[in-house]
Amino acid sequence: MNQAPVSCIPNTSKMSKTKKVLEESREIQNPELDLADKGIATFEEMPGLLNMLYITRLTLSHNKIKNVPPGLANLVNLEILTLANNHLEELPLSLSSMPKLRILNLSFNRLYGLPRGFGAFPMLEVLDLTYNNLSEKTLPGNFFMMETLRALYMGDNDFEYLSSDIGNLKNLQILVLRENDLIELPKEIGELTRLREFNVQGNRLTILPPEIGNLDMISNKSVFRLDGNEWVTPIADQLQVGISHLMDYLRSETYRILYSRYLTNKPEIPPPCIDKAKKISRIR
Amino acid sequence: MSPTPMPSLTGGMSFDNMMCSRCGEGFEPHEKIVNSTGELWHQQCFVCAQCFRPFKEGIFYEFENRKYCEHDFQVLFAPCCGKCGEFVIGRVIKAMNANWHPNCFRCEMCSGELADSGFIRNAGRALCHECNAKVKAVGLGKYVCHKCHGLIDDQPLKFRGEVYHPYHFICTACGVELDSSAREVRSRPGFANNDMNELYCLRCHDKMGIPICGACRRPIEERVVTALGKHWHVEHFVCAKCEKPFFGHRHYEKKGLAYCETHYHQLFGNLCFVCNQVIAGDVFTALNKAWCVHHFACSMCDQKMNQKTKFYEFDLKPACKKCYEKLPIEFRRRLRRQHEATPKKLVPA
Ligand SMILES: [Zn+2]
Ligand SMILES: [Zn+2]
Ligand SMILES: [Zn+2]
Ligand SMILES: [Zn+2]
Ligand SMILES: [Zn+2]
Ligand SMILES: [Zn+2]
Ligand SMILES: [Zn+2]
Ligand SMILES: [Zn+2]
Repeated sequence: MNQAPVSCIPNTSKMSKTKKVLEESREIQNPELDLADKGIATFEEMPGLLNMLYITRLTLSHNKIKNVPPGLANLVNLEILTLANNHLEELPLSLSSMPKLRILNLSFNRLYGLPRGFGAFPMLEVLDLTYNNLSEKTLPGNFFMMETLRALYMGDNDFEYLSSDIGNLKNLQILVLRENDLIELPKEIGELTRLREFNVQGNRLTILPPEIGNLDMISNKSVFRLDGNEWVTPIADQLQVGISHLMDYLRSETYRILYSRYLTNKPEIPPPCIDKAKKISRIR
Repeated sequence: MSPTPMPSLTGGMSFDNMMCSRCGEGFEPHEKIVNSTGELWHQQCFVCAQCFRPFKEGIFYEFENRKYCEHDFQVLFAPCCGKCGEFVIGRVIKAMNANWHPNCFRCEMCSGELADSGFIRNAGRALCHECNAKVKAVGLGKYVCHKCHGLIDDQPLKFRGEVYHPYHFICTACGVELDSSAREVRSRPGFANNDMNELYCLRCHDKMGIPICGACRRPIEERVVTALGKHWHVEHFVCAKCEKPFFGHRHYEKKGLAYCETHYHQLFGNLCFVCNQVIAGDVFTALNKAWCVHHFACSMCDQKMNQKTKFYEFDLKPACKKCYEKLPIEFRRRLRRQHEATPKKLVPA
């Protein structure tokens, strides 16, 4: 019986596309690797990738990747890792050891939690966790230790509370908490003096800690989005007139009194938003 | 003056030609006679010259040939201490127009005892030599050496919180006699304990490689900031514009000067959202952010965009049309409800 000749030419067109990109990249030692929308389901479809130590950016958006191998952390020169819109349900522990990673995009996945020690990234500046299934119950203990973080996107998740450790993120300029189930905000947000984009749209908030009044949210470089919450009337009234009126009000003695009285009266918690039940990140 | 000890009583002898020192009468044969320092008394005559009562426990005080009990002696003759007001029995210090217990006569500045060391009258106060020298030195705008208490005419040497003549010390390393340029070094870095400090001459100090602050020219013993090719005390490394210390916050360098983020921006422009570097060339500004030419790209697929690219926006991030259309329909519906998600054209800066 004749054996088929051994061939190194890939024979399925879909496989070849990914492999071709890899080969071309290796030839010219291109530090930026684009593999978005290639129908990739596993890292095995990208042979040799984990040995391409020279790459600084890896873009794998719009694929069907479920698992990231721990070996990805071998790519020690990686600065930007984009895994947006995949099927990720969990991540390897090794990820947070990547020494140069600055931008990590995990948006539009199915993450219910993050691995232990996730907050150990030494250089992480931008972390995008938009549209997952994360909550305060599933964040690792050191999550808010990433002092280098300047942007944290956590919109479309399931947070009801936010840890007071958020105050550690002294360099944070952008904090997006849009459309979670937040019932209250910690006063420590008032310590994030560099914050200039702050989005809490579409939560279950009724009242703001007076410390929020410390933030500079009225300069032309600042954006503060608060609509779609169940604000108490005085806050809603101030919002009608404008953010600067609201900020003045939060700093007033009147508000401090109202705030402490409100807290002692055990306010009713608004119901969660039903809208998000349709999120495709919930598919298991 | 001290009390005289108990006199002896003599009895059973004939004293025909002897008389009582007080009343001049003779003694009866078996009468008890008081004999004290060669003089004799009837027992009833050996009493205090003031209150005529016998001496308690036989103790009496003598003054101008008269004997007094302790109480009357003190009332009549003993001086009062200028400090505590009690009688001074025993050694009296006569000074500053008053009498003092040796224990009570002290320097008015440091409360050190002056009885044996002597004192100096300074503006109505009794001072020890050391304090007096200090007062004098302050008046002259000078220091007093902590070791020899002499005035320091030249530059003093500060060491373990005190000032000295530099020539009392030698360099810990080379043994040369020190001058005021000597440096005090904490031998255990990180510990503030003065007792551990040592002195080095300038040459040895420089050889030890202790960094010198680029601002104040003094050695840096705590945390060192290295920037702009120099070392700095943490609190002396400041923004060239507002002069606030960076305290570990990011700084930006330009033409040999360092600036805080705010003032660098104010003076020299924007930071790119992706590389976080100051944008040297063309700037893309949109969505409350800026990008350098290399980094204006779709936030989901990292594809480069330019002035002409239409992009969508959510959470103030740009997404190309292709990416936006791949987002879950229910998400896009919610987004639309929140704000009309119309394609936006980039506004070139
Ligand atoms: Zn008497
Ligand atoms: Zn006294
Ligand atoms: Zn004194
Ligand atoms: Zn001296
Ligand atoms: Zn200095
Ligand atoms: Zn400044
Ligand atoms: Zn850039
Ligand atoms: Zn895109």
